[in-house]
Amino acid sequence: MTREVSGDMTKSNLFSKIKDFIHSDAFIFLLPAIILIIVFYLIPIVVSVYMSFTPLKNWNIARYIHEFVGFENYWRFFYMVTHDPTVRPIFITTVVFILVTLAINVLGGLGLAIATFFMGEREASSTQLLWLLPRMTPIAVYSMIWYYFFHGSAIGTLNSILMSLGIIHKPIDWGQSIIPWGPWMIIIFVNGLVGVSYGMIVFTSAISNIPKELVIAARVDGASNWSITKNILIPLLKWHIVYVTTWQMLSLLTTYDHIFLLVEWGLVNRYYGTTWALYIYNMAFTAAEKDLGLAAAAGVILVIVGALLGLLALKILGFEKMVKEPRGDI
Amino acid sequence: MKYCRALSKTAGIVIAIIIIIGIVAGAYYYISHKQITTTKLITFVPLTGDFNKDIINIGKALEQDGVKTVQLSVWSGGDPNSVMRIYGVVEAAYRINNIWKQNNINVEIKVTTRYVSNPNDVYEDYINKWSLGQAPDIMANGYTYIASLASEGYILDLTPYLNNYTSFLNQFYPTLIDAMKWNGRIYGIPQDTEARPLYIRKDVAACAGLDLAGLAEKIKNGQFTWSDLYKWALKVKESGCAPWGLIHRKGSAHPDLIQFIYAFGGKLYDEKTGKLVFDKAAVYKWFVVEKTFADHGLLPHDMMSWDWAKQIHPTVVDGKTLAFIGGTWHWFEWQTKAYYTDPKTGQQRPLTAEEVHKFFYYTLFPSGIKGKPGLTLSQPFAWMINSKAGEQNPNYDKLKDLYHELVFLVVVKASDPDIVAIHSLISGHLPVTKTAAELIKNQTWVNELKNLKVKLDPEVLNNIKNIIEKTVNPLNVQFLANVTYMLEYTTFTPKHPQYPKLASLFADALDQVLRDKMTPAQAVNYIVEKINADPDLKKSVEIIGEIPQNWTFP
Repeated sequence: MTREVSGDMTKSNLFSKIKDFIHSDAFIFLLPAIILIIVFYLIPIVVSVYMSFTPLKNWNIARYIHEFVGFENYWRFFYMVTHDPTVRPIFITTVVFILVTLAINVLGGLGLAIATFFMGEREASSTQLLWLLPRMTPIAVYSMIWYYFFHGSAIGTLNSILMSLGIIHKPIDWGQSIIPWGPWMIIIFVNGLVGVSYGMIVFTSAISNIPKELVIAARVDGASNWSITKNILIPLLKWHIVYVTTWQMLSLLTTYDHIFLLVEWGLVNRYYGTTWALYIYNMAFTAAEKDLGLAAAAGVILVIVGALLGLLALKILGFEKMVKEPRGDI
Repeated sequence: MKYCRALSKTAGIVIAIIIIIGIVAGAYYYISHKQITTTKLITFVPLTGDFNKDIINIGKALEQDGVKTVQLSVWSGGDPNSVMRIYGVVEAAYRINNIWKQNNINVEIKVTTRYVSNPNDVYEDYINKWSLGQAPDIMANGYTYIASLASEGYILDLTPYLNNYTSFLNQFYPTLIDAMKWNGRIYGIPQDTEARPLYIRKDVAACAGLDLAGLAEKIKNGQFTWSDLYKWALKVKESGCAPWGLIHRKGSAHPDLIQFIYAFGGKLYDEKTGKLVFDKAAVYKWFVVEKTFADHGLLPHDMMSWDWAKQIHPTVVDGKTLAFIGGTWHWFEWQTKAYYTDPKTGQQRPLTAEEVHKFFYYTLFPSGIKGKPGLTLSQPFAWMINSKAGEQNPNYDKLKDLYHELVFLVVVKASDPDIVAIHSLISGHLPVTKTAAELIKNQTWVNELKNLKVKLDPEVLNNIKNIIEKTVNPLNVQFLANVTYMLEYTTFTPKHPQYPKLASLFADALDQVLRDKMTPAQAVNYIVEKINADPDLKKSVEIIGEIPQNWTFP
């Protein structure tokens, strides 16, 4: 009896809260964001989960939308992962790739934002623009540039420079012969350069919002650039560091476009140049039949892994502590 | 503050779920409803097999239904010289428009085109866009895609149309029509085909004292095998005539190397079971041959990642290898792309037809077994018609069949002898019809083409005139005539949806062998492991034979 009453109360409480919220200014304020999140985040997840239980192939939605295969796609995915002899190097490569590239992206972005903060306006703009170039360049063109730069024969720019300087006497096949460091170095370098600009933009924008008085006061007190960075800028960028780290980590977990081309063109070793996302892509899309059901199942698993890693990152970076309401400020 | 806290987590989730259900249900209703409304069939014209009569009747029927313009699109891809894969349709539309004009039919076909370098991209875009109604009406692409496109219902079954056009069908070489079939039905019209000759540098051979006289005949009869070619390559290397004995193409799924499997008596497909075949013995022998070449410095260890434009072609055209496993289209590509470094100027330029003729000897791919004839491999291109062809045109529900008939006749027209012959002469692909093969031998017509005097849509002529100027000449015509015999020795790769996966494993394993990361036996076992690790592949591939214990090469 008590439970029923309590249930009804909860229900009516919930609906009245929804009603209150819908009639509030906060709802109108948040509506665009809510719509975007639903359309671009929640619906794709729901559709992916749905697809993962169908035999969807070759984008033939009308044909396969009504068919259900239960957990078969998940079974196929785990079967491949547990039986494939090349999974181990791919797994290790993914871990190394994410950790090292993430460090480059976050620390590089932070370093650049801080460095440009201490530069004159013109120098800062030019430097930022330069670092944005990798992101602005079309993926195929950008990958092609590094393909020729690291090419393992005498046509490779790096080999040709080193040979003309007399440092090496014959070309080195960077991505194929120095296993695993060569392919790791190339995929991390190529992706790292692209990712740095993202952190740089976020940190630059955050630094520009730091009250100038703090820096001026520090300068008046004779603080060095390093001291200003350590004691003012970095502590005030804590939120942004957490955000960029988490975002970039998830982004690296799912990225494969540049790597796909470098592997496909034979620049890097197929196993130590392939990350998890590319492995999944190859698994589902190498055949003439595009196995979207399998890809969706693998995608759902990737979302779960990503969510867990995201939560872990927030935990490690002390997100909970940061969002806690300050004690005694009301 | 009160309102900000008004929405609990549960409430947020409820709102999100309601919106998602609404959108998903709407999309579901749209798709289901669309399926129902697109099944109304009304107007069509019975085909008689008389092209002019049929096209006039279709034109009149369209005019009666108020159609003034029919929009069609064609997509294809390939090397830069093979643009007739799209312009063939433009030309066909031009010719049909003229027929309609002469018969006072006020209907016009307008064609939009898309041509890219990689035909696989065209295929992927086609399947991505088919459900959205954005796939082209006609696609010229490799016959290997027929299986997956036909099984999804993405392309039209042409059998009923061809039943009325038997004389048209009979113009094509029968093996090519077989390649267009899936489950006994014809889903494509052959657009072009090719052979993959083994090119041998005459100057390099002469330098090493190798006699090319009668070589093609010996390979044809199985008297000259890969063991002999290995010995020749070794001689070339030892005598310093060229740094390499053999160069081939790179990357995954290239059918050139699959010829090794056939050369060693292996097979890739079992007609009875409809399964792919992994023939361990034949693949092992292929890997051993390539490894032996690589171990003796006759073939680069990193061959599978060589760069096309900067390494592979320059090495071949500059005479730095004895042999090259290529295709007929390379003969023409070398005349249009600047791969050759002129010894006098040091500048890169295309070869002239005379130079290509002077430098290269061509023959079938040698057998691996003494007494077994040499072979080649073809991957014919097919015109495929979208099962929703004409969808972007007025009154589609009512005129669907009429549009399909029209598109079929456009493809019939695009197979006119001169269109097929022009494509062959400028791209180095072999003609798919006997009438086109005859036309290529007609010196008067070839001269007219060379002088740009042939009757073509001005737009088409303008787009291909540069290629015509560079490629149409008696030496190239002679080349095409000389290689046509290879079609009698041709083989095909399987038309199985899982085949690209298997081909990709071959390329991957071969790369490991050439780089000394795996022995040939390890590579074969690696492929077996990879097949067994993929449930779809495992289901589709029959693994036969064993790694031979006492087999040696050469």
